[in-house]
Amino acid sequence: MIGFLHPWMLAGLVAAAIPILLHLLARREPPTVVFPAVRYLVTTTQEHQRRLKLRNWLLLLLRTMLVATLVMAAAGPTVPLTGVPGHSPSALVLIIDNSPSSGTVTGGSPQLAQLVAAGREVLARSTPEDALWLIAADGVPRRGDRVALTALLRDLTVSPRRLELGTAITLAGEVLESEPRPGEIVLLTDLQASALSPADPVAPLLVGRPDKAPPPNTGIGRLETGTQPWSSDGGRISVVLVGDSGASVPLAARLGERPARQALARVGGTVALSLPGVPAGWWTLTAGLDPDEFRLDDQRVAAVRVAPVARVSWDSTSRFVAAACDVLAANGRIVRGNEVTVGRLGPRASVVQPPEDPAELGALNRALAARGAGWSYGNLSTEVTFSDSGAVVGRQRVTRRYSLQSTSSGRTGLLASVNGTPWIVRGGNVILLGSRLDPAWTDLPISAGFMPFVDVLLNRLARGEAALEQGAPGDPVPLPDMVTDVRRGDREWRVEGGGLFQPPEVGVYYLRSGRDTIGAISVNPDPRESRLARASDTQARQLWKGARMVALQDAADASFSSASRGDLRSPLLWLALIAGLAEIGLASGWRRRP
Amino acid sequence: MRLTWTVAYGYVAPGMNRSDVPSGRSRLDLLDPLEVSKLGGLELVTEGVVEGFLSGLHRSPRRGFSVEFAEHRMYQPGDELRYVDWKILGRNDRLYVKQFEEETNLRAVIVFDTSRSMAWTGSPATVLPKLAYAQRLIAALALVLIRQRDATGLITFDDDVRSVTPPRARLSHWHQLLGTLARLEAGQGTAAEPALRRVVGQLRRRGLVVFVSDLLLDRVLALKALRFLRHRGHQVLVLHIMDPAEVSLGGPNEARFEDPESRSAVVLRPRDWAGAYRDTVRNVVSEWRLACRRHGIAYHRVTTDTPYGIVLREALTSPSRSA
Repeated sequence: MIGFLHPWMLAGLVAAAIPILLHLLARREPPTVVFPAVRYLVTTTQEHQRRLKLRNWLLLLLRTMLVATLVMAAAGPTVPLTGVPGHSPSALVLIIDNSPSSGTVTGGSPQLAQLVAAGREVLARSTPEDALWLIAADGVPRRGDRVALTALLRDLTVSPRRLELGTAITLAGEVLESEPRPGEIVLLTDLQASALSPADPVAPLLVGRPDKAPPPNTGIGRLETGTQPWSSDGGRISVVLVGDSGASVPLAARLGERPARQALARVGGTVALSLPGVPAGWWTLTAGLDPDEFRLDDQRVAAVRVAPVARVSWDSTSRFVAAACDVLAANGRIVRGNEVTVGRLGPRASVVQPPEDPAELGALNRALAARGAGWSYGNLSTEVTFSDSGAVVGRQRVTRRYSLQSTSSGRTGLLASVNGTPWIVRGGNVILLGSRLDPAWTDLPISAGFMPFVDVLLNRLARGEAALEQGAPGDPVPLPDMVTDVRRGDREWRVEGGGLFQPPEVGVYYLRSGRDTIGAISVNPDPRESRLARASDTQARQLWKGARMVALQDAADASFSSASRGDLRSPLLWLALIAGLAEIGLASGWRRRP
Repeated sequence: MRLTWTVAYGYVAPGMNRSDVPSGRSRLDLLDPLEVSKLGGLELVTEGVVEGFLSGLHRSPRRGFSVEFAEHRMYQPGDELRYVDWKILGRNDRLYVKQFEEETNLRAVIVFDTSRSMAWTGSPATVLPKLAYAQRLIAALALVLIRQRDATGLITFDDDVRSVTPPRARLSHWHQLLGTLARLEAGQGTAAEPALRRVVGQLRRRGLVVFVSDLLLDRVLALKALRFLRHRGHQVLVLHIMDPAEVSLGGPNEARFEDPESRSAVVLRPRDWAGAYRDTVRNVVSEWRLACRRHGIAYHRVTTDTPYGIVLREALTSPSRSA
C-alpha cells in the first residue's frame, strides 16, 4: 500500500488539472484573423493533422504528468518493497512484552532475554532517519534513537505489571498517527493467550513470538484471608492455584516469620489452611509454592489484621442493627461491651445514626460538636439516589439522607458518599451515618452486604481502621481520606488522602494516618499471568487484522519490511525530468518541423 | 531575393553594388513600395518608377530585350561582346556596341486578379495590400511597354471579368489604363479562366500575356487557360503576388484563420504550424514554377515588399519574354 511522508502535499494534485484547464480554456473563442491563404493552411493541416493531434495529446499528457509527478514527489510517496535491503525513513514502535510472564525461563534463559535480544536486532536495522519508540509493560511510549532505545532495552527487567497487548497496539497506533513517515508496529511477545485483546492496528503490525511452547506452570491465583480482623486465636485462609500444570504441588503459608503450614494443592482446587493465633497487630501473610519456570506467581501475599473482636453496645431501637449485632455476637465476631456504641453517641467509639425525630437533630449536633467530631448533620434530602461504589458499602439505593457537613477543613474521614457528597464519615472516634440503617432510608439493611458491612463497621472502621485493599502492580488504588503516607518495608511514600496510589511492585503496602496504621494494600500479580498457554497465530490474526506472525529470531529480518518501503521520490523526480525534457523536445521539435 | 535597405531609401539587390544606387537622386524603382506609394499619385509614382528603371537599364550591361537595331554607343566595360559591332572595330579601330529597340507591333494584355484576397495585407503599416502593389506594378509595366510602342491592354477579373481595356500603343492609352486601375476595387471570388480566355479575343496574333494574381485560385483551370494561351503562341508571364505574411505564418497564439473569399476557416496555433506552412508555400510555389516551366511560361513570385524595379527587371528580362 502506498504511503506518503507529507500527505497534505497531495492537495497540490489539483494543480495537475491546470494543463487540462489551460488546454480547454485555450480552445475557446480564438480571435479571427482574415487570411487569404487559408487553402495553404488547410493543405498543411490535412497533412499533419493526425500527427499534431497525437502531439497535442502527448504534450497534454506530459504536462499533466509533470505536474502530478512533482506534486507526488513532494508528498514523499513510499511503497512496500519485499526482499530489498534498506528502507525509507520510517516510524517504528517497538513493543516489548515484559509483563510478568516474560520472566518464564525457557531454554535456560528468561523469556525476556529472548525478547530483548530480538528487540535489539530490530533496532539495529533502523537508520538515523527513522523515528523510534519503545513501549514496555508500563505503557509509556519512549522515543529515542537506536542507541538510547538499545540502552533502555538493556536495562529492561521483568515488570510486575500486566500488559494488555491490544491496548499496547492501540497506543502504538496513536503514537504513529501524528507521524508523517510510514509507520510500523513490531510487537515482541510471548503471545500469552490471556494477554490478547482486540485492536485495530493503524499501521502494519509485525508480531514476533517464540516458536517453542511455554513450560507448564502452577501459580497462586487467589489468597483469601476471610473476615478480618482475625482474633488472637488465628484464622483460616483459602488458596486457589491457577496455571496449566496438572500435578499436585506443595503449598506453604506463613504469617510473618512464623512457622509455615503446608498442604498439597492442585491447579483449579481450593486449599483451606488454618493458621495459628498470633499477637494483635498487622501481619503479612505469605503463601508460596516450590519454584518453577515462572517464579513470579509462586508466591502471593496478603495483609492480615489480628485484633480481639469489638466490644459493642447496642440496643433494640434500630431493629436491623440490633438483628445484625445479635448475629455477629452469636458468631463470635463481636461481644457485648462498651468499646463501640451503635446507634447513638456513646462515651467512646460510636456509630451514630440520624435521629428519627428531626427535633433531636440540634441536640445531636451540639453533642457532636462537643466531642470535636468535626462533622454535623445538615438538611434532610428525600431524593432517591445511589451510593457511590466503594469498598465499604458498594452501590446501594438511598431514599432519605441527611447531608453531612464538615465543620473542619477538607473531607477528612469520608468513608462512603452519595453523588459525591458524604454519606458515611468518621470524625475522631465517631462514625456518622447519613441515613438510618432502615429500609425506609436505604436498601443497605436488606442487602446481602449488610452483615459484612456491620462487621467491618464495628470491628475495623469504628476502631480507626480504614481499608484493606487489593491490587496489581501499577494499578491505581484509591486511598482513604485519612491516609498520610504509605509504607512497605523500609520504603515510604508521602500521599494525599483521597488520591490514588500506584504500587510499583508485589508486596503489602501499609496505609498510615500519622503514626497509626489504618489499612493495607495487598499487591500481587494478575492471576491471568499464571496461564502461560500461548495463543495461536490464527487467534492473533483474528484480533489484529493484517498482523504478520513470525518467530522471534526472524523478527529483525521482517521488521521494516512493511516499513521497508521504497522511497519513490527519486524515481518520480526522474520521471518528472524525463517528462519535462520530452515536453521541451516535443514542443520545440514540432515548431521546427512538425 | 534578399534586399538590403540603404540610407538613401534604396534597395541593393544581390549582384548589385551600392554604387549602382544613384547617390544624389533616389531611384523610385528601387525604393520600398510603401514609401513610393506615399510620394504621390499613381501616375506620378509610376512615371518615377519607370524613369528610374529605364535609367538603370541604360547603365546596365544586361540591356538587350529588344530585337530591332536602334543606334550605336561606345563600348563600356561589362557590355556583352555579342553586341560589339565588329565592322566598326575593323574600320575605325574603336569599340561600339549595337543597341536595339523592341518591335512596335507587340501586343500585350495584362490580366489582373482583383479578387477580395488581393486587397489583403498582413501588415498595413509596413506593406502595401497586394492589390495596391499590383496596381502600381501594372501601371509601371504598361508604361514601359507603351514607351516601347507595344500596344498594351488590361483585363480585370474577380469571380467574373470586370473590365476589358483593349491594347493600344498610344501614350494617352496609358492614362486610360491608369484610370481603370485607379477605379479598381476588390471584388469577390477568383475565376481566372474566363478572363484568360477573353485574352484570345484581344490578341489576334502572337503577343504577350502578363497574368498578375495571388494565384489563390483553381490551379488546374488557371494552368489550363495559360497553357491554352501558350499554345496559341503567346508569351505568357505569371507574376505571383504574395504578401510577406503569406510566406511566413504568424499571428496570435491561437487564431481562427478565415478566408475572405470563401469564408472557410481553420483554427490553429501559428507557432506550431509555421514550419509546416512554410514548406507548403514552398511546395505550392515550386509546383507553379515547374508547371509553368514545363509549358514555357515565365513565372515570378513577387512579394509586396519587393521594389518595383527589381520585379520589372526580372519580368522584362525573363527567358520567356526575351525568347
